[in-house]
Amino acid sequence: MVSIDARQLSATEINRKIKEVAETSGEITILNPQARHNIAVGVLKPCKINVEGSVGYYGASLMDGPEVHISGNAGWALGENLMGGKITVTKDAGASVAASMRDGDIYVGRNVGARAGISMKGGTLLVGGNSGFLTGFMMQKGRIIVCGDVGDAVGDSMYEGVIYIGGEIGSLGADAREEEISEGELIELWDVLEQHGITEKPRFRKIVSEKKLYHFDTLERLEMSAV
Amino acid sequence: MCGISGIMYKNARRDGLANVGGDLVKMLDSLAHRGRDSTGFTVVGEQFDEDLIVRLWTEDANNSELALSNVEEAIGRVGGVVITKRSWGDFLRFTVNYEGEVPRLAEALMNTDGVVIHSIGEVSEVVKDIGVASDMEDKHHISKLRGTHGIGHVRMATESKVDITHSHPFWAYPFTDVTVVHNGQLTNYHKLKRHYQTMGHRFLTENDSELIAVYLADKLANGDKLESALSQSLDDLDGTFTYLVSTKDGMGVAKDRWAAKPLVTMQTDDVVAVASEEIALRSVFTDEELDRVEPQESEVLTWSV
Repeated sequence: MVSIDARQLSATEINRKIKEVAETSGEITILNPQARHNIAVGVLKPCKINVEGSVGYYGASLMDGPEVHISGNAGWALGENLMGGKITVTKDAGASVAASMRDGDIYVGRNVGARAGISMKGGTLLVGGNSGFLTGFMMQKGRIIVCGDVGDAVGDSMYEGVIYIGGEIGSLGADAREEEISEGELIELWDVLEQHGITEKPRFRKIVSEKKLYHFDTLERLEMSAV
Repeated sequence: MCGISGIMYKNARRDGLANVGGDLVKMLDSLAHRGRDSTGFTVVGEQFDEDLIVRLWTEDANNSELALSNVEEAIGRVGGVVITKRSWGDFLRFTVNYEGEVPRLAEALMNTDGVVIHSIGEVSEVVKDIGVASDMEDKHHISKLRGTHGIGHVRMATESKVDITHSHPFWAYPFTDVTVVHNGQLTNYHKLKRHYQTMGHRFLTENDSELIAVYLADKLANGDKLESALSQSLDDLDGTFTYLVSTKDGMGVAKDRWAAKPLVTMQTDDVVAVASEEIALRSVFTDEELDRVEPQESEVLTWSV
């Protein structure tokens, strides 16, 4: 396994080292990241990346395939545009975690900031603690699971996808509504939690789109040609 | 985008002043990517022999002797006595004994040709200049400034021109020791500025962030506690903001209802630090295990020495 000290390297150099390791599907450990931005960005092949400490903005973003474990915090836009793979953060993440993610899994052990899962288009975002304002803002697909509380305007302007909340809800956003959760879904969620070592079994509440804000009956041009 | 940071040694009045200037230089240097137009500091807490510290800027660096004597004359005219005076480049610093009303002194200085007031404080002073923190060190020796607490700012200008006077922190004319650094944009600036002008307040710049300083100082002067003034500002100020305020014995932060601008905090029993990004906190705290907390929307936090 390769191990590098981030203190002596620029973000570009760090990412170059990671990509070298990814070429052989290897494993790399990054020491002393010092909450710097753009660590592990643009890695498009499966590999294992361990970060010993906090990362700044856009940590593990624009990624497809790797398994990233961050022992610390992440700044804004962790896992932005994730196409596939898995990201774990042991402590907190900032605002806009999982922004526009398309697939894969992101797990944050504790709290996240505002706009978690903004414009999310697939995959699963699991938050062990609380999530801030505008959770799931304009999400289009995928699943957000928050074990703790969420702030105001959860699910605001969401198109599709599901938000599950284990704790208190500040308020529902525009065009979001609560739907009855089935026992089957609960068991499935608890199973996801157990996979991440969470033993609690919250009675999750389920938030979906009311679908009154947008015209869902209008087909996209490509869809029309398929009809 | 801009970057803000602040640090307070909560027990410094008991344990002795800390290297607040040095900490702020480190924090702001690590935030330089958030704005390289200008950098500024307020360091608070040193008890001077004189009544007031006055920091000014002169538009004519080649004639700073004239500026020094004009300012001294203005201070004398309102009954103040200059104890020390110093100029370097286009910057002036005075220590003054003065028992009159500070607004009267501020007015006299404001009417002095060719100089702009950066701060009048009993226990604080503002240092601000063009460029990044490390560039300023040789010129202003900020890391030698000791105190109980301080705030700082790196600027990427969006709302008004790039010059020293439009740099942060903004002093709340004419209230001693109240200064503000702000990341964001106020959208009801002109309306509120006119409101405060009709109440008799003066503004030294065209920068929207100066309004926050005047707004808070006005509330504090009317007897509000820092925390309630900050909470009220969440309703009264429109736009996006995370701002920090420093007063004689306190430091506070307010984050707008959209949580649009970042801030993280870290603290121990002795020290609390806040900054736009964790990278700045890591530059002063060596304990890797220390938790950092990101305040949420509409959150107000205050600390005092």
